[in-house]
Amino acid sequence: MMEMRSEMAVIQPRARSGPLPKRGLPWGRWFHWLYCSLSYIFLLSPMIVVIGASLHGGEYYTAIKFPPEDPSFQWYFKIPAAQFHALGLSFLLGGAATLGACLVGIPAALGIVRSNLPLKTLISALFRAPLQIPAIVTGIAFLQLYFLVGDATGLYAQGTFLGLYLGHFFVATPYVIGTVTAILQRFDNRLEEAALSLGASRWRTFRRVTLPVIMPGVYAGALYSFMVSFGDVPISIFLTAPGFTTYPVELFYGLENDFDPSILASASLVIFFCLIVLLGMQKLVGLEALLRSGSR
Amino acid sequence: MKYRKSFIATSVAMALGVGSVLATGASLAGEFDGVTLKVGTWGGSWKENIVNVIVPKFEAEGGTIEFVTGSPQANLAKLIAGRGKAPFDIMEILDAQIQDFRSAEFLQPLSLDAIPNKAHLEDWQVSDDTIGSWFTQETICYNKDKFAELGIEPPKTYSDLANPKLEGRLSIPDITSGGGLANFGAFAHAGGGDEANIQPGLDLVKSMNALKFWSRGGEVVTQFQSGDVYAAVVHAGWCVRAKNAGSNVTTVHPYINDQHTGVHKHGWLGIMKSSENAAAANWFINEYLDAGFQFEFATKSGVVPVNKEAIGRLSEDPVLDEMLQTSSEEISQQLRIDYSKADIADWTDQWNRSVAQ
Repeated sequence: MMEMRSEMAVIQPRARSGPLPKRGLPWGRWFHWLYCSLSYIFLLSPMIVVIGASLHGGEYYTAIKFPPEDPSFQWYFKIPAAQFHALGLSFLLGGAATLGACLVGIPAALGIVRSNLPLKTLISALFRAPLQIPAIVTGIAFLQLYFLVGDATGLYAQGTFLGLYLGHFFVATPYVIGTVTAILQRFDNRLEEAALSLGASRWRTFRRVTLPVIMPGVYAGALYSFMVSFGDVPISIFLTAPGFTTYPVELFYGLENDFDPSILASASLVIFFCLIVLLGMQKLVGLEALLRSGSR
Repeated sequence: MKYRKSFIATSVAMALGVGSVLATGASLAGEFDGVTLKVGTWGGSWKENIVNVIVPKFEAEGGTIEFVTGSPQANLAKLIAGRGKAPFDIMEILDAQIQDFRSAEFLQPLSLDAIPNKAHLEDWQVSDDTIGSWFTQETICYNKDKFAELGIEPPKTYSDLANPKLEGRLSIPDITSGGGLANFGAFAHAGGGDEANIQPGLDLVKSMNALKFWSRGGEVVTQFQSGDVYAAVVHAGWCVRAKNAGSNVTTVHPYINDQHTGVHKHGWLGIMKSSENAAAANWFINEYLDAGFQFEFATKSGVVPVNKEAIGRLSEDPVLDEMLQTSSEEISQQLRIDYSKADIADWTDQWNRSVAQ
């Protein structure tokens, strides 16, 4: 009885008098504001410097000139055609690698999570192995492989779009597998069972039930895949050839000797393009909603 | 009959006309019709200088030139991966790599008869499989104003850079940078060692208290511009650029033991063994060594020509005259690293253990 009384005493709310206590320290809000501001400045400053330096209005300059003197858009009109060609190739390559990664990654993730294969752990590790290998080693390995295959068959893939594509596909796929696997592991199988029990075919069940649920993982994996492919230098450096040079490699070689301001101008255009695409997606669909629901 | 004669005359005239057109066409045909020459070289402004001068001449001969851009290190890696099957016919080679190329037998002999411009080079710059194409003069570049402010005499040797007043204000090349090996070899000689005994060079570098180790020459220009460094070990071309960018800098070719003043790094051209365009490649080399191209290329790229006529013209430019040594006597005094005596892997390993910590 005594114990019961004491418990009742514990659960009774304490009488509160006076104003509510303030959360945290009095300067916490300001500290939070300052911390966030500095973080944003740190994250955005490289882009600000690149965009600012691209507006340098003077003569050819061998180093980044920031803030720019006599601002002008002159370097935007001097961007070499090779950079636009390389940019187009990178978008095409990134898109193709992402598509391939999704086509292979989604079934692979389903197999890894749901199958009862005897060497499932090993297979899972193999699919993720490209992330463990230094990219430069991957590039050399692919180049050697192409020569070996070429010697045996007479079909040399180095210096071709296919050769570049295979290298990018190799590193892009694990990202889709990783993100889709993560969602599948939390997947409620009863949803599929319900669809099947109501007469849906396996394909329809996959298309109408499974796929919408795993789409956030597909979107996230596709985004990572595209970013990895688009920004890759170490692999592309070994697999590019005249006419098949990707945008980052073109910039990398262009910067080896000088800070050519036209490179900064070109990079600024890409930054603006990406911002416009992201803002457009945010406006039209909403990025958060897209990644969260995956159903749009 | 009249018509028949007229027909014959017309036919003969047409035949002559077609024949003359074909003959004219044949005489207009270039030396390299349909040939695509692939050149392995650096990208950016380096490549553009070649594109602007040599490519139009080659196209006038009916051929096209494609560029496989990349550093000589990256292109050598491609060659090794391809077991000698090069994605290019001709490539730029650094002096530190020549031993690798020869031991792997990646090069084919040059047709020196097809390269008349070799006559303008020093004898040692011409060999059976490689030919000198440019060189750099590795110097000490220093800010005259800052040295005067600190009361420091202009440096004469690398040891002068160990001055405590320069602590944290010095930039030297990392061993992986373009001039890294040449300058490290020079440090070894200056410290009393040589290519086979690099410990004195390591000790010398450690005594300098460098601010940082640059990997691209452009970094030095920025560092001078921002006032971060007062002195740098860098090739004269970057010092010229720093001066053109507004820094009051000049070069010193440091004394290296009693025999040498300054050190240089050499660029070479070689034709790949796998190339089937040797004639075009030899033509390209000859154009590369032309005095006009050498002068233009050198002044725009910050290197020194190998063509003696072009070197003589450098003194026409007051800034280049101040920064570079242009007489044969001076150039012959500069140290050339003998990479056949050097274990480059060991150099890099020792550097990483001792300096780059």
